[in-house]
Amino acid sequence: MKYTTDYGYEIKPVYGPRDVEDLEYERDLGDPGRFPYTRGYHENGYRNRMWTRRMTAGLGSSSDANKVLKKYREMGQTGGICVIHDRVSSSCIDADHPRARLENGVLGWPGSSLLEFEELMEDIPLTGQSITLLGCCAPSSLRLAYVVALAEKRGVDLREVHGSVTESPFSNVFGQTDVQPFDLNMKLFLDTAEYVVRNEIRMRSGVIGQHFQESGGNNAQVLAIELSMLKEICGRLVNQRGLDFDDAMRVPYQLVSIGSRFFEEIAKVRALRRMWARMAREHFGAKKEKSCQLLIAVHTSGRTMTYQQPLNNVVRCGIQTLAGAMVGCTAVDNATLDNAYAEPSALAARMSLNTQHIVAVETGVADVVDPLAGSYFVERLTNEVEAAAYRILEEIDARGGLVAAIEKGHIQAMLKEEANIKFREMNNKERLVVGVNHLAIPPEEELFEIPIQESGASDSEAIAKRMADWKKSRDMGPIEASVQRLYADARKGDRFNLMPAIIGAVKAYGTAGEIIGVIRLARGLKYDPFDMIQCPFQLN
Amino acid sequence: MINGRGIKVIVSMIGLDSHTTGAEVVVTLLRDAGFEVVYLGVNQTPAMIVNAAIEEDVDVVGISSHASNFALIEELMSLVRQNGLADVAVVCGGNIPPNQIGKLAALGVTKVFPPGTPGDAIVEYMAGQGRRT
Repeated sequence: MKYTTDYGYEIKPVYGPRDVEDLEYERDLGDPGRFPYTRGYHENGYRNRMWTRRMTAGLGSSSDANKVLKKYREMGQTGGICVIHDRVSSSCIDADHPRARLENGVLGWPGSSLLEFEELMEDIPLTGQSITLLGCCAPSSLRLAYVVALAEKRGVDLREVHGSVTESPFSNVFGQTDVQPFDLNMKLFLDTAEYVVRNEIRMRSGVIGQHFQESGGNNAQVLAIELSMLKEICGRLVNQRGLDFDDAMRVPYQLVSIGSRFFEEIAKVRALRRMWARMAREHFGAKKEKSCQLLIAVHTSGRTMTYQQPLNNVVRCGIQTLAGAMVGCTAVDNATLDNAYAEPSALAARMSLNTQHIVAVETGVADVVDPLAGSYFVERLTNEVEAAAYRILEEIDARGGLVAAIEKGHIQAMLKEEANIKFREMNNKERLVVGVNHLAIPPEEELFEIPIQESGASDSEAIAKRMADWKKSRDMGPIEASVQRLYADARKGDRFNLMPAIIGAVKAYGTAGEIIGVIRLARGLKYDPFDMIQCPFQLN
Repeated sequence: MINGRGIKVIVSMIGLDSHTTGAEVVVTLLRDAGFEVVYLGVNQTPAMIVNAAIEEDVDVVGISSHASNFALIEELMSLVRQNGLADVAVVCGGNIPPNQIGKLAALGVTKVFPPGTPGDAIVEYMAGQGRRT
């Protein structure tokens, strides 16, 4: 067994006052609600508002996902919804694309038009709960347009809608890939962020550190990546879009992963709050306290959910949820006991939501803010992960920032090396996982067969067929007009904001493939990222 | 120690799935064990994978799967049969539920490695799949 953190800090058997002798309370911790916000942003913690307890939904058709959302509401998910795109709509191709045929509604919601969003949201309120939609950067500009369009249709004041539907361009860089080029994603992200700020919309954009950690990155690396993503994004919003930093900071929220190394995960999130507060004040010259308070949501770690003895995952999920609750976050969406098998079954979803409800109402951990503050061990771990992260952050800065470091392949190489280390540690039993490399049992002794949420190829085909039929039934006049405007706007240079034209095309029921395809053409790219279909419009 | 010298393996993602970490860890594992590995990367169709298997004259095709249906693997297996590649072992790794493993085996998938499979088990199995030994 290793007694080190995943970033290599040797853990001692016991901690005492000398481990934190340099700690100055006001400078390094502060009361909850006071800079540098190590202890959180609210002096009363969860007593004012419990964290949003939610589950990620999305599988099969939009109507299927709508039913799941309604079921989750019955399970006590009233604070907010969270839905993730399928791979087809994440890639900004349509369900009737030849590459989509067998993958519609796989691992997510087939959200490539306003029609799909209307079906997803049928009888589900846009206000009074947070609306969170996930899955790649480019389609997230359409997601923002869906919300704008549906709010208008329903007569809802757009400024009453809150949540997060857009994503940073770094979303699918770490351990995942994206068919849309990075510069297009960055441009669309900046457009959405600027649009949200200038129109005083209360929608945030996901800056997702979770993918980096879930793909094998260690806690110090992920902290450095999270901060450097924010630095790049806020820097561009200020320098390229002319926003005040304090306005730009209304945009990002950070989605972090929390695994089972309990104290280390708590230390990481406390360090993230402190490091961001200092960066906001010292680097960006924040004038508002709110800008020093990075909104943090938690996804408990899917990669820790084992295939073997899946009931053990209920315990892992409980430990991770407890860490998320104790560290003080805005929202938690949980991994599920069947994470290594399929999308969550109703049983698995209920278990995960109940895990959160139990932690929230039965344990008392939500009664007191940052209950681990002052622990010699936790404060030392917070300092250690922070120091290790600052070293990596300096390296990234020395390479010209995160975008430059990604272009040169440094970050991908760092992540790949770390993923290989994690695999070797498991293989060599330096890290033990019950049921996997410790106390494993033969498959025939698996005494409890969990239900599996299945989705078949016929479901994907049905979504494809519906898309093809529906496309033919649309009123093409408004679509043609809106894509002409979009094409013209998209040739006006990177700083010309495309959101008004995207919203126009979405309202006319243009699809993701059509809208992003036309933007691609205007930028000199092929209409179709797979170069299999042609643009259906005569653009001029 | 088992090694894969003389055995050529394709490792590929299939379809639009972009969760590459597992496949890339397996690529490193196999290369370290002496296998010759052709990594095709993301966005591979069943036809692209089968064509690559023919062109590269491989012994094993390894597919990384993170999906909620297995239609693309079914299509791959039918192309494997049509192209007379019955002597090429097709193995899959990833989030594949137990009830699917039997179905994939019936289609000719020779082995499924679920999450948590030890590296040694993968190397040992692959080392036994040489067509030229």
